[in-house]
Amino acid sequence: MVPLSWYLIFAAALFSIGLFGVLSRRNAVAILLGIELMLNSVNINLAAFWRYGDVLQMTGQVFAIIVFAVAAAEVAVGLALVISVYRRRNTVVADEINMMKW
Amino acid sequence: MNFIDTHLLSLILFVPALAAVIILFLPNGENKLFHWFTLGASLIPFVLSLVVWFRFDATQSGFQFEEAYVWYEAIGSSFHLGVDGLSLTMVLLTTLLTPLAILASFSISDRVKAYMMLFLFLETGMLGVFMALDLLIFFVFWEVGLVPMFFLINQWGSANRNYASMKFLIYTMGGSLGLLLAIQMLGVLFGHFDLVRLYEGWNSLDPTKTLLGLPVSTVKAIAFWAFTIAFAVKVPVWPFHTWLPDAHTEAPTAGSMILAGVLLKLGAYGFLRLILPLYPNEARIFAGALAVLATAAIVFGAFAAYAQTDFKRLVAYSSVNHMGFVVLGIAAAAFAAGTNDATIALNGAILQMFNHGLSAAGMFFLVGVIYERTHTRDLGKFGGLFPLVPVYGGILIFTSMASLGLPGLNGFVSEFLVVRGSWPILPVYTAVAMLGLLFTGAYILKGIKMVLHGPLNEHWAHGEHKLTEINTREILVMVPLMALILWIGIWPAWILNVINNVVVTLF
Amino acid sequence: MTTELLIWLIPLPPVLAFFLIVLLTNKNKALSHTIAVGAALLSWLGSMIVFVQALGVEHLGEHPLGGEPINWLPLGESVDTYFKIGVLVDPLSAVTLFFVAWTVLMIFLYSVGYHNFGQPEGDHDHPGLPPHGATVEEHGHQRSSPVGKHVVPSIEPMYSRFFAFIGLFAFGMFVLVLSDNLLTLFVGWEIMGLCSYLLIGFWYAKPSARDAAIKAFITTRIGDVFMLLGIAYLYSRAGTLTFSEIFAEETLHTLATIPSGVLGLSAAGLIGLLLFIGTIGKSAQFPLHVWLPDAMEGPTPVSAMIHAATMVSAGVYMVIRMFPLISLDPTTMAVVAFIGAFTALFAATIAVAQNDIKRVLAYSTISQLGFMIAALGIGAYVAAVFHLVTHAFFKALLFLGSGSVIHGMEHGVLHTGNHKVDPQDMFNMGGLRRKMPITFWTFLIGGFALSGFPIITAGFWSKDEILADAFGHGHTAVFVTLAVAAFLTAFYTMRQITLTFLGEARTKEAEHAQETPWTMTLPLVILAFFAVTYGWVGIPEHFPALGGLVPNWFHEFVGGTLAEHPEAVEFSVWPLLTSLFVALGGLTFGWLVYRNVNSAAEDRLQIPVLKNKYYFDEIYDRVFVKPAYWFAETVIYKFMDQSVIDGILHIFGPVTDRLGSAIRNYFDLPVINRFFGDGSANVTYWFGGKLRAVQTGRIQQYLMLALVVFIGIGAALYFFLLA
Repeated sequence: MVPLSWYLIFAAALFSIGLFGVLSRRNAVAILLGIELMLNSVNINLAAFWRYGDVLQMTGQVFAIIVFAVAAAEVAVGLALVISVYRRRNTVVADEINMMKW
Repeated sequence: MNFIDTHLLSLILFVPALAAVIILFLPNGENKLFHWFTLGASLIPFVLSLVVWFRFDATQSGFQFEEAYVWYEAIGSSFHLGVDGLSLTMVLLTTLLTPLAILASFSISDRVKAYMMLFLFLETGMLGVFMALDLLIFFVFWEVGLVPMFFLINQWGSANRNYASMKFLIYTMGGSLGLLLAIQMLGVLFGHFDLVRLYEGWNSLDPTKTLLGLPVSTVKAIAFWAFTIAFAVKVPVWPFHTWLPDAHTEAPTAGSMILAGVLLKLGAYGFLRLILPLYPNEARIFAGALAVLATAAIVFGAFAAYAQTDFKRLVAYSSVNHMGFVVLGIAAAAFAAGTNDATIALNGAILQMFNHGLSAAGMFFLVGVIYERTHTRDLGKFGGLFPLVPVYGGILIFTSMASLGLPGLNGFVSEFLVVRGSWPILPVYTAVAMLGLLFTGAYILKGIKMVLHGPLNEHWAHGEHKLTEINTREILVMVPLMALILWIGIWPAWILNVINNVVVTLF
Repeated sequence: MTTELLIWLIPLPPVLAFFLIVLLTNKNKALSHTIAVGAALLSWLGSMIVFVQALGVEHLGEHPLGGEPINWLPLGESVDTYFKIGVLVDPLSAVTLFFVAWTVLMIFLYSVGYHNFGQPEGDHDHPGLPPHGATVEEHGHQRSSPVGKHVVPSIEPMYSRFFAFIGLFAFGMFVLVLSDNLLTLFVGWEIMGLCSYLLIGFWYAKPSARDAAIKAFITTRIGDVFMLLGIAYLYSRAGTLTFSEIFAEETLHTLATIPSGVLGLSAAGLIGLLLFIGTIGKSAQFPLHVWLPDAMEGPTPVSAMIHAATMVSAGVYMVIRMFPLISLDPTTMAVVAFIGAFTALFAATIAVAQNDIKRVLAYSTISQLGFMIAALGIGAYVAAVFHLVTHAFFKALLFLGSGSVIHGMEHGVLHTGNHKVDPQDMFNMGGLRRKMPITFWTFLIGGFALSGFPIITAGFWSKDEILADAFGHGHTAVFVTLAVAAFLTAFYTMRQITLTFLGEARTKEAEHAQETPWTMTLPLVILAFFAVTYGWVGIPEHFPALGGLVPNWFHEFVGGTLAEHPEAVEFSVWPLLTSLFVALGGLTFGWLVYRNVNSAAEDRLQIPVLKNKYYFDEIYDRVFVKPAYWFAETVIYKFMDQSVIDGILHIFGPVTDRLGSAIRNYFDLPVINRFFGDGSANVTYWFGGKLRAVQTGRIQQYLMLALVVFIGIGAALYFFLLA
C-alpha cells in the first residue's frame, strides 16, 4: 500500500488548488467548481482515513456520502443563485456582484 | 362615625384634594356643576373645622386632635397632624375663606374645571401647613400651596399675569430653599422631624456637640436664618414684599382673596410656630432689626398704598401695611419673651392675622365686584358711584372701616393689642408705626373718595356701561365676613380666649 | 330694671335705629325718622331717669352709679385675667349726659324739618347733592313767579341715611360719656369720628364736601394716633384703663414719679400730653383746627350736633375726665393752658372776618373750646365743665338757628330762582327779624349767651367763672388773652346778628324769606330756655346781690367728681367788671359798627389775612399734604419699591438669564455638545468610515479575509496554547 501521507498530500494539494480557484477565479461558476474541488478533496481525505484506519467502521464512508449529498445540494443551490443573479445583473463575474458593498 | 371622630384633621385636610380628583372625572363643560360641587366640597372642611373648634379645649396646653401615621421611617419623618389654638384659628380662617372665595368665583366661565381643581388643591396645601406637626410634612404642604396659586394667577389673571405669577413663584420658592436645607439639617441632627419632640429636645441639646463639623450653636444660627428668610418672604416682611402688589393685583378676585387672606398668614404662622419657640435667643438678637422692618412695612406700605391709582394695588399695599402690625407684635414678643407685654403683643398679632384675613378678603372681593362691572381698576375712572350702587357703597365703607381699624370693628382690637404690647418694649418703633396708622386712614379714604364720592361719572350711569348693583350671590360672600368683623369688634372674647390661652402656655 | 342696667341700655336705641334704618327701612322716610327720633327719645328718657337718680345720691363722686364691669378681652398672664369694661355715672358724666341727651333729641327733631319732610321730591335731585327744589303747580300762598309755577324746597333724597348716621353718632357719644374706662371712651370717640366723616361728606357728590370729610377725618386722626399711644402707655404703666383705678392715689403717684424719658416729662406728663393731642385734633384746637370750618359743608344739624355740642365737646370731656392725671405735671398743664388760650384768641380774630353765617359759628366754637381748655390748663375744673355744658346748649341753639336762617333764605332763593345768591352769606341777609321772628329771638338769646350777656344768659355765668378763676389764681396772661377773646366774641356775634337780622333786607331773597316749620323752631325755643336758665345753677356764692340766694349747686355737684373737692375761687370784683365790660362793650361796639355796613366792600375788617384764616390751610397743604403725596408716590412707590427693590429683583432675572446663556454657550455647547457628544460621534464615524472599506461586497475578498484571520487565529492559538 502507498503511505497515507501520499493521499493526504494529494488531498491537500487538491484543496489548495480548489481554494486558489475560489479565491482567484472571476467567473462565479468557476468559483463553484473550486468549491467542488475542495469538497472532493475532503472526500479523498475521508476515504483515505477510512481505508488506513479501522476498515470495519463505516463512519468514513458514510461521512463521504453525506458530503457528496451536501455538495450536490449546495451546487444546485449555488447554480440557481448564480443563474438568478445573472438574470438580474447580466453577469457572472464575482467581482461585479458587490451590491453588499458599503 | 367613629372614623370621622378620630380622623377629623385628616378629613379636613384631604377632602378638598379628593374632591378635586373627583372633579377630574366629571364631564366637561358643566360649569354650574363644577361651581356647586366645589362649593359643597369646600363647605365640608368648614363644617368639620367648626366641629373641631367646638370640641377644642382651650385650657389645655399642647396639641389636640393629633394623628400620626408612618411615612418615611428611614429618615424619621412621620405624617403627624395636630392643632393647638394658634393653628386652629388659622384652619378656621382657611376653611371659612375658601368657600367664600369659591362662591366669589362663580363668575368665572373659562376652564372652570381646572380652576376649581386648582382651588381645592390649594386649600389642601394651606391646611396642611397649619396642621403639620412634622417638619418635612410642613415643607411639603408649604410648597404644594405654591403651584396651584401660580397657575391660578398665570391662567386666570389680568394683563401682567405672566410676570406676576413668575415673580411670586420664584421669589417664594427661592426663599424656601434655605428652609428645606435647614429642615434637613435639623432632621439629621435629631434623627427625626417631629415638631412636638423637637420642642422638647431642642433646648436640651448639648451646645458642645458638633454636627458636620460645626458646633451646635452655629447650626442653630444657620437654621434660624434659613427659616427666617423663607418666612420673611412669605409674610412679607419689608423689603421682601414687592412680589405682593404684583401677585395680588394680577390674580383673579378669588385668588387675591385667598392670597391675602391665608397665604400671607403662612409666613407669620411659620414665625410663630417655628422661629420663636425654636430659636428664642437668636430671635431676641434679631428682634430689633425685625422691628425696624415691621415699622418700615407699616409706614411704607401705607405710603405706597396712598400713592396708588390702581384700586387693587392699593388694597394689596394695605396688606403689607396690616401684616406689618403682625410682624411688629412678633418682634416685640421676640424681644421680651415671657413678659406680659409680649403676651399682649402676640395676642394682637395672632388676632390681627385672623382679622386681616377677613377684611383683606372682603376688600379684594369688593374690588373684584366693581372690576367685573367696569373692567377697570383705575381709581380715576370711577367717580361718584354711590348713587348708582348704594348697597355696594355701604358694604365698601363698612369693610374699609374694618381695614382702617375703626373701633367697634375687628381691626381695632388687634391693632390696639399690638400697640399696647409693643409700646413698652419698642416705644420708638411703635411711635413711628403710628405714622403708618395715620396714612392708613388716608389711603382708605382716598379709595372711598375716588370710587364712591364726588360728582357722578356719567359714563357709568347710562347705556351699556351702566353699573349694576351688587347681586345676591356677592352679598352672600360678604355677609359672613361682615358679620364676623362686627362680632369680633364688639365681642372678641370667643376667639381671643383661644389665642390667649395658647400664647400664655406656649411662649 | 336697675339703674345699672338702664345705664347700659342708654346707648342702645340709637345704634339699633342705625341698623334698622340701614338694613330695613331705608326706603320709607317716615318710618326711618320715626325710628330715629323715637330712639333719641328713649335714650333721652333713660338719661333723664339716670340723671335724676344721680342727683339723689349723696357724694356721687365717691359712690358713682355703674355697678360691676364685665370681662371683655382675655389678656395676659394667667388664663383668667381680663380687660374689663363698664359704665360709670359720676357727677361729670351725669351733667354731660344731661346736655348730650337734650341736644341730641333736639337735633334729631330739628332734622325732620331741616330735611324738608313732607315736601315733594325735587325736580333734578340726585342722591349725593343737596336738594334743589321742586316745582309745584300753582296753588301757592304767595304770588306766583312769572312762569306760573312755584318752586318749593324739596325733600332730601338721602333722608333715611341721614337719620341712620346721626343715630350711629348718638350711640358713639353716649358710649363715650358713659364709659368707665379709656378704651371704650376711645371707641366712642372714633365712632363719632367716623360719623363726622360720613356726615360732613353727606352730600358726597360735591367735591368740596368730599374733601372736607377727608380733611376732618385725617386731621382728627393725627390726634387720635397720639391718643392711642397715650392709652397704650397708660395701660402699660398703670396696668389698667379704668378711671377709678387710674385715679387711685398710688397709681397716680407712680405715674407722676416715673420719668418717661421724653423731654423730661414724668410718665403722667407724657401720657397727659399724648392724650391732649387727641383733644387738639378732636376739639379743633390750634394747630389741628383746620378741619372744623370746612366741616360746615355738612348739613346744619350735623354742624350743630357734631361740631358744636357733642363731638368737639368730647375732646374737652376727655381732658376733664383725665384731669387728675394731666394735672400732675406742670409742663403738660402749661401746654394745655397755652394752646387753649391761644386758640381762643386766634379763632376769634378769624371769626370777625368771615361772611358765611356758619363759618362764624365754626370759629366761634373753636374759640369757646379754647376757653374751656385754657380753663383746664389753669386748673379751673368746675368752670371748664360749666362752660362745656352751657356752650353746648347755646352753640347748638346758634347753629340750629343759623340753619333756620339758611332755610328761610333758601326759600327766598327758590322763590326768585336766582341760584347765584349764596343763602349762607350774611351780606345777602338783613331784616330777617321781621320775617323769622322765632328764629330771631332765639338766635338773639343764643348770641347773647355766647357773648356773655350778664345775668340772664348762661354764657355769662360760665365765662365769668373762667375769667374769675384765671384772675384769682394769678394766671394773668391767660386772663388777658381770654378777656380779649371774649371781647372779640361779643363783637363778632353782634356783627352776625346785626347783619343777619337787623336793618333792612339787602337782597330780594332775604325779602322772601320765611319762618321755618315747628319741627325746627321748637328745638330752638327749648334750647333757648336752657341757654337762659342753666347758668343759674352755678351762681358763685359771693356774687354781689345774687350770690347765696341759690346755692352753687353746680360747683358742689361737679366738684365732687374729683377726689379732692376743688375750692371755689375767692370773689374779686375785677374779673366781674372785665366780663361786663367785654361783653357789653363788644355787643355795643359790634352793633354800632355794623348797623351801617351793607356789603362786604364796606366792611373794614375784611382783612385778607383774617379772611383767609392766616393762610393755614395753604401752609398745611404746601408743607404737609403735597409733600406727603409726593413722598408716597415718588419716593416710596416709584423710587423705593419699583426702582430700588424691584430693580434689585429684576437683576436676578437677567443675571440668571445671562448666566444660563453663558453656561450654555461657553460650556454646554462647545464642551459637552461638540467636544464630547459630537466628538465621540465623529470619531466613531471616522472609524466606521475607515472600517467599512472592508465591506467591498466581493465574496472572494471576504473569503480571503476569513482565511487569513483563520490562519492568524490558528497561529495565535498554536503559539499561546500549545507552545
